[in-house]
Amino acid sequence: MEKSTLTVCPYCGAGCHINLVTENGKIVRAEGAPGRTNESQLCLKGMYGWEYLNDTKALSPRLKKPLIRNSRQDDFREASWDEAIKFASSRLMAIKEKYGPDAIMATGSARGPGNEANYVMQKLVRAVIGTNNIDHCARI
Amino acid sequence: MSNSVPEIEDTKLVFVFGYNAADSHPIVARRIVRAKEKGAKIITVDPRRTEAARISDLWLPITNGSNMALVNAFAHVLIEEDLYDKDYVARYTEGFDAYWDIVKTYSPEKTYKTHGVEPELVRKAMRMYAAAPDAFILYGMGVTQFGQAVDVVKGLSGLALLTGNFGRPNVGIGPVRGQNNVQGTCDVGVLPNIFPGYQPVTDPKVREKFAKAWNVPSLPDKVGYMLTAIPHLVHEGKLKAFYIFGEDPAQTDPDLGGVREALQNLELVIVQDIFMNKTALFADVILPATAWGEHDGVYSSCDRGFQRMRKAVEPKGDVKPDWEIFSLMATAMGYPMQYNNTKEIWDEMRELSPLYLGATYEKMEQQGGVQWPCPEPDHPGTPYLYKGNKFDTPSGKGLLFAAEWRPPLERTDADYPLVLSTVREVGHYSCRTMTGNCPTLKTLADEPGYIQINSVDAAKYGIANEALLWISSRRGRVLTRAQITDRANPGHVYMTYQWWIGACNELTLEHVDPISKTPEYKYCAVKVEAIPDQLRAERYLHEEYAKLKHKLSSPVK
Repeated sequence: MEKSTLTVCPYCGAGCHINLVTENGKIVRAEGAPGRTNESQLCLKGMYGWEYLNDTKALSPRLKKPLIRNSRQDDFREASWDEAIKFASSRLMAIKEKYGPDAIMATGSARGPGNEANYVMQKLVRAVIGTNNIDHCARI
Repeated sequence: MSNSVPEIEDTKLVFVFGYNAADSHPIVARRIVRAKEKGAKIITVDPRRTEAARISDLWLPITNGSNMALVNAFAHVLIEEDLYDKDYVARYTEGFDAYWDIVKTYSPEKTYKTHGVEPELVRKAMRMYAAAPDAFILYGMGVTQFGQAVDVVKGLSGLALLTGNFGRPNVGIGPVRGQNNVQGTCDVGVLPNIFPGYQPVTDPKVREKFAKAWNVPSLPDKVGYMLTAIPHLVHEGKLKAFYIFGEDPAQTDPDLGGVREALQNLELVIVQDIFMNKTALFADVILPATAWGEHDGVYSSCDRGFQRMRKAVEPKGDVKPDWEIFSLMATAMGYPMQYNNTKEIWDEMRELSPLYLGATYEKMEQQGGVQWPCPEPDHPGTPYLYKGNKFDTPSGKGLLFAAEWRPPLERTDADYPLVLSTVREVGHYSCRTMTGNCPTLKTLADEPGYIQINSVDAAKYGIANEALLWISSRRGRVLTRAQITDRANPGHVYMTYQWWIGACNELTLEHVDPISKTPEYKYCAVKVEAIPDQLRAERYLHEEYAKLKHKLSSPVK
C-alpha cells in the first residue's frame, strides 16, 4: 500500500511542496504538490534529493549512534545517549565555569532541522549557557 | 523578500542582479521565463552569460567586483535624466540630497573603466527600468558575497525607491535565499543580536519578556559573536567551545586551512548532524539526529512563508530529533526542559513573537502556509511588505542610501593572474552530504567538480576540456576539472563549493563585509596549471577520494 506525505523540499529557499510516496516504510518517489511557490513543479533536487534517506553510503555514512572520544588522538567510540549527553554537557559546563559563558559559541542549522529545533537551540544558548554567541550560515 | 515568488511572473520588468536562478533555484527561474512569456522585459547584470542573461532584453556584463560603482551609475542616470518618480521620492523617502551628493560623481561614462558596461547600455537599462509600470529586482550571492555587500543591497533598494517600486504586488526587491531555511533560522533568532521575531537582545523590555517566559532571572545583553569571526576568536583565546549543529564549516567556510586550525585549537567541539562530515573529524562528541523526512516542523521559504514539513519515514538507528537532544542537554545542565512535539515549541515561540502570533499550525494546514507578518489570529498573512509605502525606519520613510565603491581586497598579479568566483550548480548542494548520498544526483557530477574557464584562458594555459588541472591561491591548492565555456568571462574562473577534493574554499579568503560579515567568496586571485600526465592525475584523484571516504566512514560502524 502506497502512502503519500505532504512536505516541503529541504534544498533551496523556494519552499516547494512535495509529496513523498512511501511503500512498506520506504520512500519510493517524490511528486510535486500544488504549493504556493512551485505549483506542482519540482527541480532535479526535489525529484531525487530524498534518496539519501536510504543510507546509500554513496559518499559518507549516516550517523546512527552517539560517538565520543576522550582525546582527539583517540578513535571515536559508540556511546549510549545518557553517556554522550553527560559527556557533552559536563564539558560545556566546565568551560563555562572556567572561562565564562562567552567562551562558548553555537550554530543553528539552516538545513533540515526546521524552525522549532533552531528556536530550542537559541533558547539553550541564551537561557542555559548564558550567551548570545549563536549564529548560522546565513552570512556564509 | 519584500514581495512573493509567484508575483515575479506578473511584473512588467524583471531586473536580475548577480543572481543565477537557473542553477540555484530552477523553480524560481521558471517564474522569470513565465514573466517573459507574459511580455515582461528582462535585464540581467552578471559577468557570466547565465541562462537569465541569455533570455534577457538587455545583458550588462559587469566587471567582477564593481557592483557599487554600477549601482551608483544606475542611480545617477535615474536622477540626471529625470527618470525617477519625484512625487514618490518626496512623499515616501528621505536622504535624497546626501544620496545625490555621492551618486552625482558616478556618471556611466566616468565609471565605465570600473564596471566595464558600455555607458549607453547603462542608460538604456535605466530608461527601460524607469518606464516599466511594475519592476521586480532579484539579487543573489553575486551581491552579498563581497567585501562590499550591504551597501549594494541598500543601493538596489534605492533604485526601487527612486522608481516607486515598493508597497504593492509585483514590485520590490528579492534576495532568493540559498538554503531552504536560512530565512527561518533568522526568523527564530539564531543570530547574535536578536531573539525570535527580530526582537533585539539589546532592548531591556524584550530581554525581560523572554527571561520571564523562559523562567530565568536574566538574559545576556551583549550582542554575541558572528560565525566568520571564529578563527580569530580562537586564535585570540576568547573562544574555547563550539557546538556545531547541522553545519560543515570545514567544507563551507572560507580559507579552510584557517578553519581547521581553529577547530584543532578549541578545547571542545560538539557536532550534531545526520552524516559524518569533514567538521566531525575534529569533534570530541558527535550527536546523531533525525533528518528531513524523519521529523516534523516548519520551514520558512525565501518569501517569509511558514510551511509545514512532515515525517514520512521512521528514522534508522539510535537517533533523536534535534529539539529533543537540546532538551536533554539543557536538562543535564540544570535547566529542566521538556517538549512533547514541535507544535508545543512553535506555540511558545509564536506567543513571544508579535510578528508571528497568528501563524498557527492550523492556519498553515488550512492555507498551505502563512507569510509573516501575521500579527493576529484572524490575519491571513502578508504576501508583500511596505503596504502604503510605510517602511521599517523610525520615520517610516524609505532611506535613499549610497556609498562610495570599494574594490575587492585581493588583487590579481603576475603570480596569481586570474580571479576566482565561487558559484552554484544545479544537481549538487552546499556541503553535499545530502545530494552526494543520492545516487541519481551523483550521476550528474562527481569529484573533483568543475572549474568554468573561458576558451581564451584555456588556450593560454594549455588546458583541454575535461582535463584535470591544479588551481592555487595564496592559501592553498586543489585539483579540479576543466569545463571550457564562453559563458565565463576571460580572466575569471568559477567553481562550485560542493566538492571535497576540489574544495574551492581551500583557495578563498576570509575578507568580510563590515556589516553582514559575509566573506568575499566571489573574488580572490588564483592561478591554474595544466597537468601533462592526465592518467596519473586521474589515478591520484581516485586514490584521494577513496582515502577521504574511508576516513569519514571509519568512525561509524
